[in-house]
Amino acid sequence: MSFGARNSVLLAAAVIGLMATGGTHPTAQERSSVRGRVSIGIPVTARRATSAYSRNVPTVALAPESELRHVVVYLRDAPRTPTPVMRAEIRQRNENFVPRVVAVTVGSTVDFPNDDPIYHNVFSLSRTKTFDLGRFPKGKSRGERFDKPGVVKVFCQIHSHMSATVMVFDHPWFTVPDEGGTFELTNLPTGTHQITAWHERLGDTTMELRVEPGRTETIDFVLPVPAAQQ
Amino acid sequence: MRTPPRLVARTLTVTFIMVAVILTVVFVVITLDVRDRVRAAESDKLRVSENVFSALETKRQQDQVAAMTTLAENPTLKAALDTYFTERRFSGSSDEQLRATVMGETAKLAMQTPADVLAVVEANGKIFTSAGPAAARWPTGTKVEIPGGTQPAFQSVAVLPGGAFRVTGARLTFGDRPIGALVAGTSLDGNYAQELSNLSTAGVVIIVNDSVVARTVPDEVARDLVTSRASAGTVALNHEEYAVRPMLFSGPARIFVLTSVDAAARAATRAALFALATVAFGSVLLAALGSFWLARLVSEPINRLSGEIVTMTAAREFDRTLDPSGTSRELDSLTTAFNDLMRSLAAAEAETRSAYVGAIRALAAALDARDPYTAGHSERVSTLSVMIGRTMNLPAAEIEVLRLGALLHDIGKIGVSDQILRKNGALTSEEFEQIKRHPGLGARILRQVPFLAPHLPIVELHHERPDGRGYPFGLRAEDIPLAARIVHVADAFDAMTSARAYRAALPASHAFAELERFSGTQFDPACVEALLAAMPSAHDIEEPALAQLLGRQLV
Repeated sequence: MSFGARNSVLLAAAVIGLMATGGTHPTAQERSSVRGRVSIGIPVTARRATSAYSRNVPTVALAPESELRHVVVYLRDAPRTPTPVMRAEIRQRNENFVPRVVAVTVGSTVDFPNDDPIYHNVFSLSRTKTFDLGRFPKGKSRGERFDKPGVVKVFCQIHSHMSATVMVFDHPWFTVPDEGGTFELTNLPTGTHQITAWHERLGDTTMELRVEPGRTETIDFVLPVPAAQQ
Repeated sequence: MRTPPRLVARTLTVTFIMVAVILTVVFVVITLDVRDRVRAAESDKLRVSENVFSALETKRQQDQVAAMTTLAENPTLKAALDTYFTERRFSGSSDEQLRATVMGETAKLAMQTPADVLAVVEANGKIFTSAGPAAARWPTGTKVEIPGGTQPAFQSVAVLPGGAFRVTGARLTFGDRPIGALVAGTSLDGNYAQELSNLSTAGVVIIVNDSVVARTVPDEVARDLVTSRASAGTVALNHEEYAVRPMLFSGPARIFVLTSVDAAARAATRAALFALATVAFGSVLLAALGSFWLARLVSEPINRLSGEIVTMTAAREFDRTLDPSGTSRELDSLTTAFNDLMRSLAAAEAETRSAYVGAIRALAAALDARDPYTAGHSERVSTLSVMIGRTMNLPAAEIEVLRLGALLHDIGKIGVSDQILRKNGALTSEEFEQIKRHPGLGARILRQVPFLAPHLPIVELHHERPDGRGYPFGLRAEDIPLAARIVHVADAFDAMTSARAYRAALPASHAFAELERFSGTQFDPACVEALLAAMPSAHDIEEPALAQLLGRQLV
């Protein structure tokens, strides 16, 4: 357990690090930034997949991932800006995609290594990228390159409860909040922007913000939970 | 006066009524008992079969839930649906190819379920797509309320504009993230009711919002079920008892399984009652035969006895005793009492008779005593007549008639004057005519006394002669009764052997000679012969009159 947890944290840190470096533009002069906090209307507790009859699935040994890690905050109306390619990975572990949400730049490749002692499959029906990596066993990894911006839903044909989201951007102003929900977008162009916090389940929440040169604005998102899900 | 009924009829009636009443009571009691028992047995049977059906139905529903849960794991369907919604949210536009994929998968799954409709319902409750025979009643975009639909797997009833459906569903989720539900719906219609009815071998009524939507029982029964608002147990519907069991209470829908206890019990009850009726009929027949036999047993000896009495009375055989029948003590004591009565009656009659005879004898003696020459005449004639009768072997009854008749033979002389009777010398023809009247006169006197009727011919005809020259009628030979002929001979003999005022007594031999001389003309030859034959033994008889007579003759 301790191994898995540490591994997961290390992984998360790596991704954030990648994004932080990718998001910071080298040619930044007097650019401003936005920092803030994302919170969810009411806490959503993570649950195991349930079914009417019991299935012998190995129980999760990991601490539940924070729902806030399934949020991507991005500049909605950002102009198309060339960005360096990234390499991210979504592991298949304990019949789950970890992490469930990944944001990358156009042209980046996402690897899907299989950590489970069973076969997994990775496929997508999304318009942005339709692919099927086939089935592969433990230890193997297959990657996919994303050349168009958009949202890509990733599933496993074998385990229908597994899903993940890859968000592909053609600009650098996007980030995944940390465990506590805090985020920061840096080197924003001056002007009025629409900033969106996207959650895989709760959808988009968009706020408008005026960004002045050299200043750091603060914006807090409260993602609404639909009544039906309460 | 009304004729009382025959004993047979009476016994028959009483016995029959008693048996009939007993049988009726038994019949009624058994009928009620049988009805109750059959009803209880049928109720038990129905309950057991309903329990079995219930268990099967529960199992079937569980299987359906399991099947739906499995179908809801279809990866393509889920992936397409999730991708479709995610893209629509993200970019505001929807991918019709993804929708088609979902519809295609749904249609494929619909082929695998026996349900009328298989639908994908969005998380917000709107129908995304539907497939199956009843898909038209699940139009895309319609919001459908499914009570309990937020459970991972659920069974419920959904009411759509096109009708009510029994639904079994499972949520479509990714981990804890719901994206909708896969719902199989079975239309609550006549087909479903018939299917349930076939499985349960009972009637089914489906009620939605208090109105009957489907039924396999008569309309009145279904309507009564709605109005009775009964939920379970035995309920009277349309004047029949039904065992009602709720199969489903879900939201506005109620499904009942019901069976008529009465209908089930009717056949069994009918069979039992038929058997009972057969037994009852047999018993009634037996009762009739038994009571008839009993009545005969009682009445037959009585009939026989009364018949004997009737015969006896007709024959005037009062001295005969009746034999006890031996059939019952009561009847025998009645016979004995009757015999005693008859005996005392006979004794009383004999007493009366002897009193009469005594009186008559006294009268005859008094008559004889009017003339010293005829004293003891009647007694002697009587003794001689009896002697002749005995010699002729007459029956004892006729001997008795002779004895009394001879004693009375001259009773008519009471109406003849003493002058003529005692006249010393030949009688004038007129006087003789007077004498000739005495037999008729005697007969007239005796006719007054009924029990002297047998003696009448002796009195009336003891002067008739075989040659027809006798009086009063001039009868000939065999026309004259034997008793009268005997008395005639005895009378003549005594008259000849008795002294008269105008002559001395003739000796017996002379008298015999006279008798023999006129035998055939004046006297009956057989009687004369009998007298002659009787005389030598006459001294043996200890008859006072005869001893006197013989003594005188022997002198």
